[in-house]
Amino acid sequence: MHTVYSRINNVSAFLSSCLMALLAAIALSSLVFTADPKGILDVQSLNIYEGHTRRYHNRWQDVTFVNFNLTADLTPLFNWNTKQLFLYLQAEYVDAKGVKNEVVIWDRIIHKKDKANLSLNGRNKYVFRNLGKSFKGASAANYTLKYNVMPYVGLLTYGEAARTGPLAFPEKRTEVA
Amino acid sequence: MDALQAKIQSIFEGKIDFEGQKKVEQISRVTLVAAAVVSFIVGFALQSLRATFVIFISANIVLFLVVVPPWPMFNQHPVKFLPAKSPSNDKKSS
Repeated sequence: MHTVYSRINNVSAFLSSCLMALLAAIALSSLVFTADPKGILDVQSLNIYEGHTRRYHNRWQDVTFVNFNLTADLTPLFNWNTKQLFLYLQAEYVDAKGVKNEVVIWDRIIHKKDKANLSLNGRNKYVFRNLGKSFKGASAANYTLKYNVMPYVGLLTYGEAARTGPLAFPEKRTEVA
Repeated sequence: MDALQAKIQSIFEGKIDFEGQKKVEQISRVTLVAAAVVSFIVGFALQSLRATFVIFISANIVLFLVVVPPWPMFNQHPVKFLPAKSPSNDKKSS
């Protein structure tokens, strides 16, 4: 500690230890906040049409169109250590081969607390197709709204805000009504 | 020229005495721990990480300004050396 340089060295060494302890405390403080808000998700319509496959334009594949209504107040998830919220709508079904599928069909990033009180009509943002050719033989699907809380410091946490009951896939429609 | 060089060197080295070093050690330790604890509590109470880091960083800027330059208060106990022995005494003792 006798010269300027050794003082800078010593103080900044202990400073970094204190900073690490402070960051650890902030990360652990997220455990105090255990909000688990619930919302309401309604699937208003499901329609299946045939579309071109992504790669081969002479082949056809079933595409499902989902319209939904969502009300959820997710403001309790915002605390001092919340940077943003990743919300996603997921369809869960078992296809004809018995494979469990979870397909993300809509998502949204919420940066601010005052935008976390949601009430919206939406439709699937991402094309919802089965890995096979069609949804024929697939079980009824559950639609769930899930969230991922991204903190400034600490661990990502996941949760589920809403879930619909099982909804069967409709018959394929050949013409756009 | 040499005197000037020595002066510049002493300004950049900024030496302080042993008592001053002890004081610096205590001040920096107490301030850093207190800054971390207070900034956490205030930030948690206000639910604002910005408050936490504003408090922590400003406390550290003040700390560096207090501790790093060789202020006169760290140089109030200069080491007193014993008077040099004359060479004749030195030869007798050895």
